[in-house]
Amino acid sequence: MRFIPEENITALLLRLSENATVWAPQVVRDTVNTVLFAPWREGAEIETGLYSALPVKGLVLPATERLFSFRYHRAGEREKIEIEVDELRERAAVFAARACDAKALVTLDALFLDGSGRSYNDQHYRARRGALTVITLACTSCDSACFCSSFEDGAAATAGSDLIFYPVSGGFLAEAVSATGRELAALDLFQESNLEKPPLAETAKVELARLGQRLLDKFDDIDFWRRTAEGCLSCGYCSYACPACHCFNIFDEMESDRAGGRYRCWDACMFYAYTLESSGHNPRPEAAHRYRNRLAHKFSYFPLNRGEFLCTGCGRCIRGCPAGRDVRDVIKALGAG
Amino acid sequence: MEELIPIIKKALEQVDVVLGWAQSPAAGVAVPAFFHTPAEADAAVFDSTCAHNLAVYLPRLADKKVGIVAKGCDARSIAQLIAEGAVKRSGVFVIGASCPGMIDVKKAWRCFGFGKQVCDAAGKVAMEGKTVAREEILLWKCRGCRDPEPVICDVTVGEASSEAPAPPAEPAGIRKRFAAMTVAERRQFWQDQFSRCIRCYACREACPLCVCRDVCTIQAHEPGWAGAAVDSPQSWMAQLIRVNHLAGRCTGCEECERACPVGIPLMLLLEEQNDVVEELFGYRAGGEAKPPFLTFDIKNDTWDEER
Repeated sequence: MRFIPEENITALLLRLSENATVWAPQVVRDTVNTVLFAPWREGAEIETGLYSALPVKGLVLPATERLFSFRYHRAGEREKIEIEVDELRERAAVFAARACDAKALVTLDALFLDGSGRSYNDQHYRARRGALTVITLACTSCDSACFCSSFEDGAAATAGSDLIFYPVSGGFLAEAVSATGRELAALDLFQESNLEKPPLAETAKVELARLGQRLLDKFDDIDFWRRTAEGCLSCGYCSYACPACHCFNIFDEMESDRAGGRYRCWDACMFYAYTLESSGHNPRPEAAHRYRNRLAHKFSYFPLNRGEFLCTGCGRCIRGCPAGRDVRDVIKALGAG
Repeated sequence: MEELIPIIKKALEQVDVVLGWAQSPAAGVAVPAFFHTPAEADAAVFDSTCAHNLAVYLPRLADKKVGIVAKGCDARSIAQLIAEGAVKRSGVFVIGASCPGMIDVKKAWRCFGFGKQVCDAAGKVAMEGKTVAREEILLWKCRGCRDPEPVICDVTVGEASSEAPAPPAEPAGIRKRFAAMTVAERRQFWQDQFSRCIRCYACREACPLCVCRDVCTIQAHEPGWAGAAVDSPQSWMAQLIRVNHLAGRCTGCEECERACPVGIPLMLLLEEQNDVVEELFGYRAGGEAKPPFLTFDIKNDTWDEER
């Protein structure tokens, strides 16, 4: 396997920076160790121990994205609209993503890039995803919010990554997963090594057997969901921090009398407005309905439709919940598989 | 605080639910819990990780009779909600808990790792063998606490601490730097801060006084006071609207800042505004006095919180 000495990491990032913005987890200035993926510049310290508050999904599905600009203009008698699609011109590379984040990119790919016609092939997502290189740092330790071992491959998942780094003495073993990864691993910054991969993190596990059905069985028990969701503040953090949540809303914003832009912005099913209909009716009026939907989508509807969970066990929704909710408690409360 | 459990059980004889805390096995700290039955109340705890302001749940439970374990600062929020008519005094049973000062759990987690058991004794906070001085890890509001005793209370639990609260800290770190900034520097500072905002509205949802919630103007598109695009100027504008709607209403509980997942120091805005309100009107929200400026009709006692 290929190996990169620790002292070559800066050189690697500089090499990547030549034609891409390199995103790496860093502590935000003036905060008590709030970690976010941010553009890396030489000298910036990369934080790989703490968990970032947000996943890397923003690099392919940004919190806000201008899809196109529009402008009204008069052509003779008629009003016409001129549209200019915003093109992505920048490449991006992410360094020290976690396996759970990278794996979720594949889930998003299936939704946004499906060639079968079952879902939409999204040009903006395609441009960002095609311009993204993912270097994952495999986890050799975890915290009590992690539960990726519940899912296939756990911390050893390689899906979604181009290159995976395994921390070993003096540097990192590098496993190429894609052609881009192989190209990188062939750089002169890497060398051959016969070191062994380190043992990876074993996290807490949740019982996933028949979970989809267990959720459906409980669907009509609204009192169960009221009890489950009663501490939930109904904010959008868990959705926005989730590497697999992908809901969005689309808005037109006028920027002058005659011109504006169409934006795609993250949306979250925990918000009241998410299902609010123009008639004023809301099919999910209580936090309980919304909480039920969020869980059932992740662990029942999505697996039934697409054969995989909409969760990779990253634990962000547990670590960052302002009300201390733990999704695993709910799964437990649904009873044994 | 073992005497809390029987008090909650007794309260359950006359209320539908008691809001308190229970230990979270994963997080190693207390998290909000709803006790409906005496058996559930056996899980109740109260320690220095009970930072959450449970008053946030009261307007959502306005149709129920609710017991609530409240610290001194939480009681101010309850008093303010009652003054504004969002909660009926007869609908709440306040269990005033004597507060030792709350630990900034996120701060501890980020220094020691999520889920580490917090041990708080003898002026030191220990997590897995590592120890820090207590005042270093207290929430900012707990330093120089002005309200150790609940302003509104039906029964108390715990001995009032004989120790004086930690003295108000000299503004350090970000507060010190911020105080010294020029207006132009502050503008840049906030632009940087709000560039991280993801508009998850955890600040609003965790705020006990942000009672509009589901119909909040900063999430509305008509009228679009704050644009839909999640960028720094729009997010800043949205937050300033929220802050201004809390003028004379914010009790300084710090929940918005605690809830913010990306660490925006929201209390810098609210502290400044609270100081101005106190200076101009001699009024602190959450007391006995009638709020000097209510931006809504106080005679309307039917808060239409969408449920």
